[in-house]
Amino acid sequence: MSGDHIHPEPTSFLKKHVFSVDHKVIAKQFLWFGLFWLLIGGMMAMMIRWQLANPGAPFPVLGQLFFPSTGGVIDPAAYNTLFTMHGTIMIFLGLTPVLIGAFGNWCIPLMIGARDMIFPLLNMLSFWTVMLGGAIGFYSLLVPLGASEAGWTGYPTLSTTVGTQGSGETLWAIAVFFIGASSIMGGINYLTTIIRLRAPGMKWSDLPLTIWGIFFTAILNVLFLPVIGSAMILLVLDRMFGTNFYVPASIMSGATGGDPILYQHLFWIFGHPEVYILILPAWGIVSDLLSFFARKPAFAYRVTVGAMGAVTVLSAVVYGHHMFTTGLSAMLGESFMLLTMIISVPGEILFLNWLHTIWKGSLRMHPPMLFSLGLIFVFGLGGLTGIYLATISTDIYLHDTYFVVGHFHLTMAASALFGAFAGVYFWFPKMFGRMMNPLLGKIHFWASIVPITMVFCTMFVSGYAGMPRRYYDHTSAEYLRDIQWLNEFTTLWAFLLGAGQIVFAWNFIRSRWWGEKATSNPWEVGTLDWQMPTPVPHYNFKEIPTVHTGPHEFSNPRLGPDRDWISQTEEMPA
Amino acid sequence: MSPLSRLFSPFVSAVAACRARWLATPAALLLFSAAVSAQEVTKRWGPTEPVSTYGHRFDSLFNLITLLISVSFFIVLILLLVPVIRDRAKPGKRASFDHGNSLHDKRFTAIVSVIVFIVLDALVLVIAMRDLREGFWNDPLPNDPEVVRVEVLGQQWSWNFRLAGTDGEFGTPDDIITINELTIPVDRPIDMNLTSKDVIHSFFLPDMRVKRDANPGAVNEMWFESMATGSFAILCAELCGFAHYQMHGEVHVLSEADYDAWEAEASRLALLGYDENDAEAQWAWAWQE
Repeated sequence: MSGDHIHPEPTSFLKKHVFSVDHKVIAKQFLWFGLFWLLIGGMMAMMIRWQLANPGAPFPVLGQLFFPSTGGVIDPAAYNTLFTMHGTIMIFLGLTPVLIGAFGNWCIPLMIGARDMIFPLLNMLSFWTVMLGGAIGFYSLLVPLGASEAGWTGYPTLSTTVGTQGSGETLWAIAVFFIGASSIMGGINYLTTIIRLRAPGMKWSDLPLTIWGIFFTAILNVLFLPVIGSAMILLVLDRMFGTNFYVPASIMSGATGGDPILYQHLFWIFGHPEVYILILPAWGIVSDLLSFFARKPAFAYRVTVGAMGAVTVLSAVVYGHHMFTTGLSAMLGESFMLLTMIISVPGEILFLNWLHTIWKGSLRMHPPMLFSLGLIFVFGLGGLTGIYLATISTDIYLHDTYFVVGHFHLTMAASALFGAFAGVYFWFPKMFGRMMNPLLGKIHFWASIVPITMVFCTMFVSGYAGMPRRYYDHTSAEYLRDIQWLNEFTTLWAFLLGAGQIVFAWNFIRSRWWGEKATSNPWEVGTLDWQMPTPVPHYNFKEIPTVHTGPHEFSNPRLGPDRDWISQTEEMPA
Repeated sequence: MSPLSRLFSPFVSAVAACRARWLATPAALLLFSAAVSAQEVTKRWGPTEPVSTYGHRFDSLFNLITLLISVSFFIVLILLLVPVIRDRAKPGKRASFDHGNSLHDKRFTAIVSVIVFIVLDALVLVIAMRDLREGFWNDPLPNDPEVVRVEVLGQQWSWNFRLAGTDGEFGTPDDIITINELTIPVDRPIDMNLTSKDVIHSFFLPDMRVKRDANPGAVNEMWFESMATGSFAILCAELCGFAHYQMHGEVHVLSEADYDAWEAEASRLALLGYDENDAEAQWAWAWQE
């Protein structure tokens, strides 16, 4: 154990707040970093929605600033950049840092009773690598020929020099590579810490489900981020050094040809697990929070863990469902369809366990609970509509329409975001020593769930009507003109959704400095992180605690009538 | 409690909870309006009537999935709302203590997931496999004289079509080459070879309910059969650059007699206008079955 060499707390500002190796500081760095990019990515979404509802009209106010050469109008190239960077930013620079970087770093040592991550320096390096990736991504927005325009999926040959000129696309690939490297470092660190540094007495079955979610995500990160990394290296080689991994011979006359489909395989071998990389931490957090705020043990803990594990394993073998229209053979297609449908079984089990957990509980409707219940709702919508897309015969029509956009936003964006919000509202008192305003939290919840449902469910309708995605202007196709009003409707709700997030931003900033002081365990839960004083002392635990009970022993009759929870460090009364 | 009654107990309690009028009324209204609005949405803002033989298969399976998931989601919603309304924390109220680790609980979870898998996934899977084998993956036979063959070449940002003309051979002077306009006969299988000159495109016929990528460097295949005459939209469904949204065309489906006349005339004109030095027009490839 590292217990014998505790370094004194650094005193210089730089060492304490910037180049810190303390997991708590790194967690906050990831949180601010992720929230900043969520803001940028969200603003890009607003611009996308504006263009779709008012094709060719100058974007109000900010348009003159961002698109001066066109008088504020978003031109087709800028539009392609917007949705490309919106996807890339939200996934890699927004949700990943918040869900995995911030909560992973904050929760793992505190919840398993460790003084820090097992590799603190690697932890710091992980943050600064994602920072580098973010900086490269940001810089790519400013280069002369414009940033990446090939979609967040970056399919060749559009993403090679055949389809996009300039350095924007190359910088995009390099940025994704660095962000991936950061996730691998984090993953290795998380796995090793969870395996090696659990407090004495803490069995695997005593881990909070949050930690299990992060554990499975870390496995996927370590296994599959290297695949996207290599795909990006090949892309950079194709763009800069004249190789032809993705460019077929028919285009580059005389050269030995490659295959653009190779990239799609590499991308989706990573890309499908990526969906679960984002959703598993959210599932873990929500599985815990439902139990904490229903004052009931998490229903069938082991089954929940098993289901998350099954999803982790299956996520590696379903990626072909992204490629049903590429010319995948019938046999491969049917295999992927079957495997995709099988992955719904652990999903159903999770739903049953969540619903069972809150059944006959004593529900405290605080903001973290609201967002957890909200996740069940939006993930239900998103998960069930996945059946249309897993089924080849319906996917043939729905592929690359707004139906897909609605589906994946509800699953990997809305659900992951709700998990992230639940986590922020929940851990904020421990992180910053102050409570977030519960009333503003509730307003934020209703201002999120109603618009988010309206926005993405309307997309199901427009997708079903045959509206293709990534179109600059749907009124260009005659048969889509009749349903253009759906775009206007979606945009209206999208702006309301954006406005709802201002409530969160205000609440976050205000509470950070002027919020009501938090007690050390305001939610009355038993996990180790809430047993220590607020603010959490340097090196967390002077004495490493011994764990005696599980994380969800709520309302146990043996606790007597006066309290309904017990600390994990306490022995259960006989 | 017997395993069976235990199995249904949450649903029974849910129904019991619904007996309270204040919950049953909105629930019934919700279900009713959901059913009505789903129908209304489909009728008014859904896609156009399916035109191809495959399109009807798509529509019926789509509607079946919609029905199945609506029922599932409604059940989830009830099971979510009942505790949210009924089980709020009150002073002195204590949650029931249940780890859910009993054999009964595990059996319940297992049985429900298997039932859901069979009713939802397996059913859809079986129908989908049947539809695909009978309507999409069964490419027309190589020597079937009924089949009309089309070579489709995508490029930034238009669709090039090549019909074999009256001699039935590709790469001959009477090939009919068109841009963004495809003319085909009704009630005959249309077999397509698709590829691309530059980036990936995706050939999308919304009214036929079919779509296939046109990849550079390889030839992809797709077939469909239109059951009605008329003009229908062609779109590109895969991002292919900044004018992606303008890459659309029209497919004109003619009656058999009209098509024969059109083909003879177009082939004759193609022969007249043939220029062997026009390299741009020589893009035919050997037909791939």
